[in-house]
Amino acid sequence: MKKFILAASVLVAVYSCKKETGTKQGNAAETTSETPKSTHKIVTLNGGITEIVAALGHEKEIVGTDVTSTYPESLKATAKDLGHMRSMTIEPIMAVKPSLILASDKDINPELMGKIKSSGIQAEVFRQEFTVDGTKKLIADVAKAIGSADYQKLNDKIDADLKQVQPIAKKPKVLFIYARGNMLMVSGKNTPMDALIGLAGGQNAVVDFEDFKPLTPEAVVKANPDVLFFFSSGLEGAGGNEGALKMPGVAQTNAGKNKKIIAMDGGLVSSFGPRLGEAAVGLNKLLIENTK
Amino acid sequence: MKTQSKLYGYITISAILLVIIAVWSLNTGVYDFGGKSAFDVLGKVIQGDKGLSLSDKYVVWDVRAARIIMAILIGSMLAVSGTGLQGLFKNPLATGDLIGLTSGATLLAAIAIVLGGHFKQYLPEAVQFSLVGISAFIGSLLSMMLVYRISTSGGKTNVVMMLLSGVAITAIGFSITGFLIYISKDDQLRDLTFWNLGSLAAATWTKNIILAIVLIISYFILLPKGKALNAMMLGEKDAQHLGINVERLKKQIIIITALMVGSCVAFSGTIGFVGLIVPYILRFLFKSNYVFILPLSAVFGSILLLLADTFSRSIVEPSELPIGILTALMGGPIFIAILVKFKKSLS
Repeated sequence: MKKFILAASVLVAVYSCKKETGTKQGNAAETTSETPKSTHKIVTLNGGITEIVAALGHEKEIVGTDVTSTYPESLKATAKDLGHMRSMTIEPIMAVKPSLILASDKDINPELMGKIKSSGIQAEVFRQEFTVDGTKKLIADVAKAIGSADYQKLNDKIDADLKQVQPIAKKPKVLFIYARGNMLMVSGKNTPMDALIGLAGGQNAVVDFEDFKPLTPEAVVKANPDVLFFFSSGLEGAGGNEGALKMPGVAQTNAGKNKKIIAMDGGLVSSFGPRLGEAAVGLNKLLIENTK
Repeated sequence: MKTQSKLYGYITISAILLVIIAVWSLNTGVYDFGGKSAFDVLGKVIQGDKGLSLSDKYVVWDVRAARIIMAILIGSMLAVSGTGLQGLFKNPLATGDLIGLTSGATLLAAIAIVLGGHFKQYLPEAVQFSLVGISAFIGSLLSMMLVYRISTSGGKTNVVMMLLSGVAITAIGFSITGFLIYISKDDQLRDLTFWNLGSLAAATWTKNIILAIVLIISYFILLPKGKALNAMMLGEKDAQHLGINVERLKKQIIIITALMVGSCVAFSGTIGFVGLIVPYILRFLFKSNYVFILPLSAVFGSILLLLADTFSRSIVEPSELPIGILTALMGGPIFIAILVKFKKSLS
């Protein structure tokens, strides 16, 4: 019994010390997190939405973003990275004291959404469609939410960029491979890559399923793509072009035989924001180069 | 009588320890209350202070306090269910996760979420939760009956059979749950990490009220059973001679542990090993005296899980570690220690 009391009192002492240091650190953090006065403090939880807010000239108001918000790069220094949507919890979001939270219906998890709703912070969840019109509508919706009337120039720029896409006579079959470590997924219908390949004058080699599915050698051979398409970071992780050619089934396809492998920045390809036209033109150029 | 007062002494001391940890946990987190401590803010919430900012109130009350209470409730129930099962099987290796109760609960909870997803939005929140909760309870109850049937004959439990049937149920549960997650386009079905490593991030007061009701009913029946479980250690026949209704006791333990494990899984996924670690530590102090370890595991389970959860949400800020990783880290070595200790009797 005595020992027990002794042990308990030691623990009490330890925790009370811990508590004090904890609050001290909290105060230290407080003095550094001074942000400039602005109309909003925005948390954006989707790469495309982040780009739209920044392109509308409100980049300074973004105080927190998710892991897919890689553009503009200057955000790294000014906004807190809140991690991946899947594992995000409410307190880190509240910790940046936002006045507005913007998210896409494509990747928000319902439990977190429930918490955001009950937190009393103004939140907007936008419907995101991977089409040109869907992107323009998203830009208009986000502009309304942040009180910016000046969004037409972004939509005009998308149209102007898309005019530069040159038609390709024989639409190349493009297989997008999402490589993360040993996980290889291919993108089916209703994915940003599927839409972008279409806009850039190619066709998605996968036509028989939606979303992302694990890559199987047989499916790759059956799809027989003319070009393999990667995120730059994914291709690097898979061991560059050499690694890609060694992937199961690839060697038997046209793309493997002719070594036609292309890569683009992940944020540019998948965000479907103001740079949609740029992304389509970039992919279009790569496809033309690789189908000669 | 002396035993009683000793027991109350221990419970009081450990409860004080739990309160201290809860205060520390309340003050731990990335949100900054602008110079005030979280504890002050909580005081203001309780007093109904109108001048409090909504965000401060929300973080303290609906995020941190709700989560702390959930850790206390779930940790407590997981530990007591482990202790109860060990009394029933007369073996320190029997816990809800090792003999497949959690897998059974996970499986039926996942089925309820996928099928219930179609008409879920028309139901009030409490009914939604209880639908999943009741399914999880049925899942753990079925697993429990299956394991008990397979491994126990004539009041004697074959430990190897008990553990292997747990492995089998876990394998089946894992595969079907994995399949459900694969085909489910419905975001309602949380991912495999939640079902296999657990999380308290989705704590709400509604869930806590349901868990508290389950806890009160369960403890009312189970906690006074320490003496009866001690008698069971002598063997079922001797316990019978001492005037204990063995069959009724077994049924009660089976139903109540299934109820507790099922509710915990429905709300927090699979948090393993709590029911193994807590009784193991308590046995060091009190041998296998269930009069002590049954009620004390209720408090120590809370202590363990609250510590683990506070670490899990503060080690890798701003994201968090799945809590099951931490409990498994502690539980794995203890599992091996028990195996080594009982090597002879197992073979």
